[in-house]
Amino acid sequence: MSVMKITARRLIATTSVAALAASVVLVGGMNSASAATAKPVTGGTLNYYTHAEQFPNLDPQRIYTGRDIAFLSSYLMRTLVSYKPVPGKDGATLVADMATNTGVPSNKAKTWKFTLRPGVSWEDGKPVTCADVKYGWSRTFATDVYVEGPAYPIAWLDIPKDKDGSSAYKGPYKKTGQALFDKSINCSADNRTITFNLARTVPDFNYYLTYLAGGPVPKAKDTGDKYDLRPMASGPYMIKKYAINDEMVLVRNPKWKKSSDPIRTPYPDDIVVTFGMDEDVRDQIDLEDQIPNGINMDGLQPSNNVAFFEDPTKKNRRMNNYDPYTSYLAANNSAGHLDCLDVRKAVFFAFDNQSLIDLSGGTTYYGEMGDNPVKPVIGMDYAPTKGNIHDPNFKIGGNPEYAKTLLEKAKTSCPDAYDRATNPAKGLKYYRADTATNKKAAVLVEAALKKAGFVIETVYKPSGTYNANLETYKKETDFLSSGWGADWANASTVIPELWGDGCCNYTQNQKTPEYAPFIKKVNLALVELDRKKQAKMWQELSQYGMDQYWYIRTVFGKSQQTWGSKIGGVYYWEPQGSFGFGQIYIKP
Amino acid sequence: MLTFVARRLAYTIILLAIVSLTIFFIFDLIPVDPARLVCSKQCTPSLVEANRHRLGLDVSVLEQWWRFIVGLFAGRTFGEEGIAITCAAPALGYSFSRHECVTTIVAEAFPFTLSLALGAFVLWLSVGISLGVLSARKKGKFADRAASVFVLVGTSLPTFITGILVVLFIVLQFNLVNPLELGNWHNPFTEPLGWLQTFFFPCATLALAYAATYTRFTRSNVIETSSEDFIRTARAKGLTEKVILRKHTLRAALAPIVTIAGLDFAGLLGGAIITEGIFGLNGLGRLSIKAVTQTYDLPIIVATTLIASAFVLIMNLIVDIAYAFIDPRVRTS
Repeated sequence: MSVMKITARRLIATTSVAALAASVVLVGGMNSASAATAKPVTGGTLNYYTHAEQFPNLDPQRIYTGRDIAFLSSYLMRTLVSYKPVPGKDGATLVADMATNTGVPSNKAKTWKFTLRPGVSWEDGKPVTCADVKYGWSRTFATDVYVEGPAYPIAWLDIPKDKDGSSAYKGPYKKTGQALFDKSINCSADNRTITFNLARTVPDFNYYLTYLAGGPVPKAKDTGDKYDLRPMASGPYMIKKYAINDEMVLVRNPKWKKSSDPIRTPYPDDIVVTFGMDEDVRDQIDLEDQIPNGINMDGLQPSNNVAFFEDPTKKNRRMNNYDPYTSYLAANNSAGHLDCLDVRKAVFFAFDNQSLIDLSGGTTYYGEMGDNPVKPVIGMDYAPTKGNIHDPNFKIGGNPEYAKTLLEKAKTSCPDAYDRATNPAKGLKYYRADTATNKKAAVLVEAALKKAGFVIETVYKPSGTYNANLETYKKETDFLSSGWGADWANASTVIPELWGDGCCNYTQNQKTPEYAPFIKKVNLALVELDRKKQAKMWQELSQYGMDQYWYIRTVFGKSQQTWGSKIGGVYYWEPQGSFGFGQIYIKP
Repeated sequence: MLTFVARRLAYTIILLAIVSLTIFFIFDLIPVDPARLVCSKQCTPSLVEANRHRLGLDVSVLEQWWRFIVGLFAGRTFGEEGIAITCAAPALGYSFSRHECVTTIVAEAFPFTLSLALGAFVLWLSVGISLGVLSARKKGKFADRAASVFVLVGTSLPTFITGILVVLFIVLQFNLVNPLELGNWHNPFTEPLGWLQTFFFPCATLALAYAATYTRFTRSNVIETSSEDFIRTARAKGLTEKVILRKHTLRAALAPIVTIAGLDFAGLLGGAIITEGIFGLNGLGRLSIKAVTQTYDLPIIVATTLIASAFVLIMNLIVDIAYAFIDPRVRTS
């Protein structure tokens, strides 16, 4: 597939302030460091440093973030299928990793078969087997132990559900429903071929296998909760030391064989990750190039971006790209809220997005106005939508006059909604997490909407529980901010989740008359085996939702990375939204 | 005397129990749900409940607290069905974010905090008292004015400013410490130079503010004591100024300072959050602040708060006992 792909979905905090832009930059990256043309050098110690106290998780079944998947799959753990480790669009191409190919679907993609390469082994020399992969998958079902990782296996494998919607299989520790699980994944007699039996057609099943959660774990080495501290290595490095708040040291895995691994190029002899570095100290190190063989894993603090990114002497030590995330403002379409298209449109055109983007770091570092919940870096599922930011009446600084005409129209098309939006005794409610940034943004939002004739009140909710309470808030507020990143380069991990019956539909659109034809098409798109046809369907569905103004603002976010002067081979691995860690080397 | 000590010890234990119970209640009140925090986006209500059970938060606050108290004396087992984890007594809990018994985590963090507190204590006492005495002796002269400037700077610059300045413009600028080794632990007995490299600057940073305050205390106490009748008598007896200072003035002037120093030291043993953070020291302060602001790790919050409280209470106990020895009226009252 010649499309760019994204992975690493994570709900991002709603502190982000979205914006509108005069034009959308529809490219996957900018100012991105290109892959080194010089010949890579083997040897040396590669340093990473981060403000974080630890990796959120090392247990494969617990890992969900793109950067960590990229790091750990490049060095430590292999997966059945991987992304091609190259910059640009090609980086999203699936390649076989531990498996001999990227999977063989049959039975309308309800059955997927993979065969393990010979010579793939654990760090103790034992071969990686089908039973290990099956055991790894079984751990996802132990939801009383593992709650952090992706749960696709529970949704997809052909295992009955209990009345409460949970799987009848309760994982390898409780063993309840073990026979059901055993039927859903079969191993061949030689323990090398694995067959997944799914409950429904999943055309993009093999993309999930780029996740470490879809990889193997040797049952004999499973230490339950503590496996998160010392997972077994199948990649070119293994853990010598991992001390939270201190450092992680990776050394070469003597049992790893290049002949069994067509992907990885382990250049450094050792890799050291230093945790808990003060953010000011970390940024100073970058600015002064004090660790030439080091890489900042976090990015700089926004206040230091200008000093680094506008200094021409540092141009070979930085990159600035679109990250995998789209920030959005979801309109509550349910009755008694923004249940009127004209009112939603009026809100959209009234927003002063320029000020909001500037508040968050500007278009260079924060992001640019989007026209879609699907981000351009997702590839073929993205197409520019019509209307919204492409409407001639759209102004990035807000168009209160046009918004007023839309409100005037709403007076007759939907008088109740108009009354709620403009009556000083009623007014719109906007729930935000109680943070300093949000308070500044709220002033801008309120000023812009009031200029167009709206009555609006920002309701601040405790930031610590804001995300946890979104399910409650979405029923009360008139619009709600959040963010999203696709799990892989298929809008199947975006549109059904955000606008369909997935986890994070904050639009409340299910109760509107427009929803029935929409969800019908979503369900057809999910099982469409013709990828081009499927992409077209996602594009149409994006347009449909944007025409309904289910989202009244989207922003395509950006992220920045920096490193030392002796680092070579750096590139932006688009599907993971992160460094392509596996090709980095130390210059002599 | 024994009764007095026993009574004070009993009060201390009761106070610690109340502190621990209060922490559990406060934690229950804060608007954060730890069970949801680590849950992925596919988090269902049943998954949250399962996680709450795993974290031990599915029972009443009193029950949680009682389990904690029992664990202190009998140890505790966390998790079930083949993947249980046991923490031996005194079990302060199990951290599911660090995958380790809290007692072990605290034991690893304490040497950092002790080193920092002890080093800073020695520095601030020696600098603060010396400067204070010098300042008092040279009242109104250049040395006194210079000491006043030091006091002004030390008390007006917060630690988070001096710490950052020391790291950025001294430690890193002059390559005195490899930035990647900032905060690395070295055993002071086997690697004294390494220990010094790690702890000298944080101790100096932390000591600066205290030393300034102690300079002022000492100066005013020495000046005040010097005008007492017994000093005039000593001088009239023909004793030299050095002997008067050493044998009479300092003994009287430093007594209250030593008491305050003991309590300040006890407070620092609970962790110096800012200094530990800036210099990358994995002490109790840093441990507790991360547990509060990032992971909402109740067992760690309880343990670090309890330890900090215990140090203060124990130091108070020691001071009370010492006072009781010095002044019998305290015992009877």
